[in-house]
Amino acid sequence: MRNILLFVTLILFLASTWTALTKGRIEGPSANPDSPVRNIIYTHVPSSICSLACFTVLLVTAIGYLATGNESWDHVASATAEVGTVFATVLNATGSIFSRAEWGIWWTPSPRLITAAVLWFLYVVYLILRSSLPGSKQRRARICAVFAIIAFLDVPMVLYTARFMEDIHKASFSFDNWWQRGPFIMGMVSTMLLAAMLIWIKTDVLKIKSRLEAE
Amino acid sequence: MRYFWFSLKAIFIKDIVTELRAKQVLPTMIVLGMLIVWVLRMASEAVLQSEAVIGPVALWIAFLFAGLLAQERSFATEQQQDCIYALLLAPVDEGTIYLAKLFVNIVLLSIFEIIIIPVVIVAFRLNINNWPALIGVLLLGNIAISSVGTLFSAIVQLSRARGALLSILVLVILMPMMIPATFALLFVFGAIPQEMAGTGALAFIGTLGSAVGYMITFDAVFVVACWLLFGFAIKE
Repeated sequence: MRNILLFVTLILFLASTWTALTKGRIEGPSANPDSPVRNIIYTHVPSSICSLACFTVLLVTAIGYLATGNESWDHVASATAEVGTVFATVLNATGSIFSRAEWGIWWTPSPRLITAAVLWFLYVVYLILRSSLPGSKQRRARICAVFAIIAFLDVPMVLYTARFMEDIHKASFSFDNWWQRGPFIMGMVSTMLLAAMLIWIKTDVLKIKSRLEAE
Repeated sequence: MRYFWFSLKAIFIKDIVTELRAKQVLPTMIVLGMLIVWVLRMASEAVLQSEAVIGPVALWIAFLFAGLLAQERSFATEQQQDCIYALLLAPVDEGTIYLAKLFVNIVLLSIFEIIIIPVVIVAFRLNINNWPALIGVLLLGNIAISSVGTLFSAIVQLSRARGALLSILVLVILMPMMIPATFALLFVFGAIPQEMAGTGALAFIGTLGSAVGYMITFDAVFVVACWLLFGFAIKE
């Protein structure tokens, strides 16, 4: 089952990339129309949605752990945080590259840019916290869940606070035709699938590890 | 309800009296704050016009770091001779312990603020025409720093790198609060002229009132959330 899903993810990803770079190519900025930089949207947007989705999953697992005390929730939380960090890193890296090519700056305080940066920081701090807490496994899981909930409350706060800044980021984006929409949707589905698969595999690894430790 | 107030008062007085007798952290906080202000004053010497801009920044950095010192201590002292177990064994709700510790940290940071504000005003030659706004903004910032810090102080108490861990936890959560907090002080210190409020880059919610409104929301959300979650954080 997992192998089939992984195969589908790979095929979708390749199909999406190939179509995006051939038929669905988006024209570059007016200063340099030949630049392929705007194609970054096929990676940037799915990874931004994935990193936010992972954060929501993290909240759900945190509440689940605090409510039930079941260790499985903690395994999922740990896996989700790691996968979320990867996507948040991709989000910030691709955003930065695009920003440099399109607006001439690597980074600037602007609502969405701040939100993405804070999201990355929250993930990284969560992972540091997880790796540096002494004491029993239960205590670590409980404290990480507490931090995940507080961190989740921080995200709407950032979205709200960032309105003090001028927005440089495009509010919405529309594609011209289905050659562009198609690979975008495929890219979205494949990225989501990839995230889910990674979380699934990592959770299994953690479960086996904890069983080995118990024996 | 009477029992709640009684236990709250007991823990609060215990901590304040210990601090005032032993003077463990308040002198360090004040000297650290003064050093931060002094260093930033020297760093801003090259650009003389920007004093009103650097002033609020110096103030918030001093508060953040001094606050971290106070919060780190608030559960570290309980670790010595395992006082924390006595505190947890007492028939008191965990939320009450949190609120008592929170009030202690707010009071300590307020004492620090009373001493450091004149230093900042003198160092950066600031003019303040709206004292109630200044006090309000500082108090809201104080509550925000203390609310998050008190919870995380309980979280990191057993770690070896306590201070380092506490600082990254608190700073990452307080990051969104610092934007309106700095804006509010810029308004109070006159670095942003009143007629500019609500225009240009500040078109969205960039007035003193909206910045204060944001800070009130932040305080309310995090005090309640930390108070509710504290029980999970303190248990062994």
